[in-house]
Amino acid sequence: MKELIEFVARSLVDDPTQVQVNQSRDVGKVHLELRVAKEDMGRVIGKNGRVANALRILLRVAAAREGKQVSLDVIEPR
Amino acid sequence: MSEERTTLEIIAPTVEEAVAKGLADLGLPSEAVEVEVLDSGSRGLFGLGSRQARIRLTVKNQAELQSIAVGGENTHERSEASREENIPSAALEAVHAEEPEVPEGEDTSLRVARETVAELLEKMKVHAQVTSKYVQPEDPKDQASILIEVHGDDLSILIGRRSETLNALQYISSLIIGKELEKWVPLIIDVEGYRARRERQLRQLARRMAEQAVSTGRRQVLEPMPPSERRVIHLELRNHPQVFTESVGEEPNRKVTIVIKK
Repeated sequence: MKELIEFVARSLVDDPTQVQVNQSRDVGKVHLELRVAKEDMGRVIGKNGRVANALRILLRVAAAREGKQVSLDVIEPR
Repeated sequence: MSEERTTLEIIAPTVEEAVAKGLADLGLPSEAVEVEVLDSGSRGLFGLGSRQARIRLTVKNQAELQSIAVGGENTHERSEASREENIPSAALEAVHAEEPEVPEGEDTSLRVARETVAELLEKMKVHAQVTSKYVQPEDPKDQASILIEVHGDDLSILIGRRSETLNALQYISSLIIGKELEKWVPLIIDVEGYRARRERQLRQLARRMAEQAVSTGRRQVLEPMPPSERRVIHLELRNHPQVFTESVGEEPNRKVTIVIKK
C-alpha cells in the first residue's frame, strides 16, 4: 500500500525527492500519511480532492487483498 | 459451459418484496443471483395510480459463484453489470499462459501507458495482463484514444461499485501518463470488456426507459451513474422523436431523467 502511494505521488509531483510516506498499523487497520513539497500539494490532492480520493479508492483494493482497512491523509508541510 | 441461464421475472409491490419473493421461489441466497430492476414501480399519490415493481433474477453460474466467494463485496450493486460476465475458463487460462507481448517498434505513448497501468496494478496486488492500443475516435477530428485492456481472473474488484474503482484507476493512470509524456492523451481502461458490455446494456436501458416514458406519459428517473455512463444514455436518446434527457442532482448521485417532449 505504501509502495502504491509512493509510486503515484512520485509520478505526479515536480519534486519526487520530497515525497515521503509513513505507514502505521493498527489491528486490521493501516494508516498512511503522505508528505510532498508545498508546491506539489495541489498535484496529489487535486481539485475538490479528486486525486486524493481516487488514490483512496485504489488503496482500498490493495487493502482488501490483505483483509485490512486503510486510510490516507495528505499532510500539510510546515 | 452452457450459456443458458435460469431467469425469473417477478412482479411485486416493491423491488425489495419482488427480490425476496424471487429468492424464496428459487430457494437461493441473494449472492447466487443477479437482480435487474426492469421497473422500480411507483407508489403513486395516496395509492392512486401506483405501479408494481418488476424485476428479473438471473441465476449465476458456478464460476461467478466462486468469484463471489472470493470477491464478496459489491455483488448486489454490480448485478446489472456482471450479468454477462461469464468468460469461459479455457479462454482465461489461455490468456493467463501467454507472456505479455512487447510488439517491436511499439509507439512510446502505448508503451508508457501499458507500463504505467501494469505497475499500478502490481502495486495494488492485482495480477493481470495489460495490453494497449489506439482506438479511432467516432469523430475523425478528435484525437485517437489509448485503450488499455486488462485481463485476468477475478477482476471484479477492479471495477467496483458503479465502476468507481475502474474510473479511479483510469483517472490516476491518465494523470501519470500525461505527466510522463508531457502531453495529455485520452485514455480508456477496460477490464474484461466491461465497458463495452456496460455500454450495450446502457443503450438498451435507455431505449426501454424511453418506451416506458412514452407509454406511461411519465418522466423516468434512472439510477445514479458516473458522467461517462450518463453520456451514453444522452447520446442514445439524442435523436428520439418523443423524449429528451437531462441529468439532475449532484455528483455522485446525479441521475438521468427521460422526459416526454411537449
